[in-house]
Amino acid sequence: MSIEVQKITKTFGDFTALKDVTIKVPSGQLVALLGPSGSGKTTLLRIIAGLEVPDSGTVLFDGADATSRSARERQVGFVFQHYALFRNMSVFENVAFGMRVKPKSERPTKQAINDRVHELLRLVQLERLGDRQPAQLSGGQRQRVALARALAVQPKVLLLDEPFGALDAKVRQELRRWLRRLHDEIGITSVFVTHDQDEALEVADRVVILHDGRVEQEGTPEEVYEHPASPFVYNFLGNVNLFHGRVEGSKVHLGDFSMDAPPDMENGQTDPGAVVYARPHLLDLDHEPPKNRPHFKAKIVHIHPAGAVVKVELTTDAGNPINAELPHERYRGLGLQKGMTVFVSVRDMKVFSKAQSMLGGGI
Amino acid sequence: MKPKKLRKSSVLPGFGLTLGFTLAYLSLIVLIPLSATFAKAASGGWAHFWNTVTDPRVVASYRLTFGASLAAAAFNVVMGLLIAWVLVRYPFPGKRIVDALIDLPFALPTAVAGITLTTLLNAHGWVGRYLEPLGIKAAFTPLGIVIALIFIGLPFVVRTVEPVLQNVDAEVEQAAASLGAGRFQTFVRVIFPELAPALLTGFTLAFARAIGEYGSVVFISGNMPMRTEITPLLIITKLEQYDYAGATAIGVVMLLISFALLLVINFLQRRAEL
Repeated sequence: MSIEVQKITKTFGDFTALKDVTIKVPSGQLVALLGPSGSGKTTLLRIIAGLEVPDSGTVLFDGADATSRSARERQVGFVFQHYALFRNMSVFENVAFGMRVKPKSERPTKQAINDRVHELLRLVQLERLGDRQPAQLSGGQRQRVALARALAVQPKVLLLDEPFGALDAKVRQELRRWLRRLHDEIGITSVFVTHDQDEALEVADRVVILHDGRVEQEGTPEEVYEHPASPFVYNFLGNVNLFHGRVEGSKVHLGDFSMDAPPDMENGQTDPGAVVYARPHLLDLDHEPPKNRPHFKAKIVHIHPAGAVVKVELTTDAGNPINAELPHERYRGLGLQKGMTVFVSVRDMKVFSKAQSMLGGGI
Repeated sequence: MKPKKLRKSSVLPGFGLTLGFTLAYLSLIVLIPLSATFAKAASGGWAHFWNTVTDPRVVASYRLTFGASLAAAAFNVVMGLLIAWVLVRYPFPGKRIVDALIDLPFALPTAVAGITLTTLLNAHGWVGRYLEPLGIKAAFTPLGIVIALIFIGLPFVVRTVEPVLQNVDAEVEQAAASLGAGRFQTFVRVIFPELAPALLTGFTLAFARAIGEYGSVVFISGNMPMRTEITPLLIITKLEQYDYAGATAIGVVMLLISFALLLVINFLQRRAEL
């Protein structure tokens, strides 16, 4: 089932949680609502579920207006951040709940409920824990019970509110891959909320980035990562180095060096207050000034060699902090030491006008 | 065989000390006076004891006291839950005042409550005069006793259920709704089981209080032998006749019945909490 959200606005007292938000979730896709806290992503999810009523705007399920339908009538599976399991029921009863409360005419037989619960517990890999109480489970297990419970009523849409937010890093990673596989298996239209860009980029078919109650950008993970529409998106999707400069014609001037503006920059425009962003892994360090590439000098302040890449912190002569990430081989080849002065060159970058960066700023 | 280990290591030590103190304190405050009651009751001899506690007039009073107390406590469970629900769930103007009113039956001297209720409910009172044409007699009947006991027991259920209700996660209700449960199903299957232990506690407190209640009841009951005499009143009557052994004998029977009932309720509560 496809979901469309049209021009939704929602306020809580003086606070505007969502301003004129429009998004589309194509049938069968897994979509992430990504944004920092307070961006309105959870509110949007709750409006889709019918747990919150929008001030204006419409929610369409398969093209039909569902705005006035109650949560009960929408047939959505909702997974809460803090699981919201029924404490007084066993795992089995939690999963069976949705089937047991159906009107008598639609209720499956006892045996059918039993079979379905076992099938779901197998799906979430909790087959043997049906008799346990929720309090006896770990966070990851509880989350999977919540998921099985939501799937038990065969919802047309699955909505997950920060599903892995309360779990530790390792479990999180496992569960999100598992969620992806599960989604591929059952193919249910799913929307999940997260503030973790890695999670969104890794798991989702499409990502909707929200900021201050507005949609900042919408697209595939590749699209939003490679072609961020605003400095906010660029900033939010990873670490960045930020330089202030000016654009003249097709050149970008940063301090005492200049370089060609990236091709997607509007040509011939002169902008005295451009902001240049470059990801740490797009910076290179060298002892010699590289030819054909913009570069500047900086001093190494700190080196973190642990991890997949070596993280190097530097400062420019003007005192601006720079973060660079190098592969281990490159780091060893250069023999970098704390206190050395090296040349920093930029392999790729993103230039935004001052106006854009004012608009998207905030991080 | 290994010695059974009673104590577990814990952040706050002192199991031995606190258990010892608890037992000593309970003995001093509860057990010693109670055993004195038993001793006193026995002082009149077995025949006197038996005759006193099986006197038809006394037996009728047990029935009235425990029956009215059960009825009042049960009524308070329903109304108390309703009041706690409203106080916890909805903001409304004057909420603080309503909240303070709940505790008033605790603070009011019970005799004042009794006199007030009698004035209201007698055939010429503000409320009683409208009940009279309907054939309902409240004052000087068992109904009046139940009303007085409801009055004094009200705060117990409200105050025990309130904090538990506050802790019921709104998300749990939303989860039930999104799974297709109606309001009634959500209440019966999800919310009520969480409240049940607190409701039982409130019931127990209201019930125990009602059994021993004297002040508010003696005015409204009219104290007609066999019909509206409560057990505590009979005890006072015996005392006034200097029949101390008889008074304590009735007291012992009350104690035993109460203890048995409280044990059963405690047992039910254990089950509800599991």
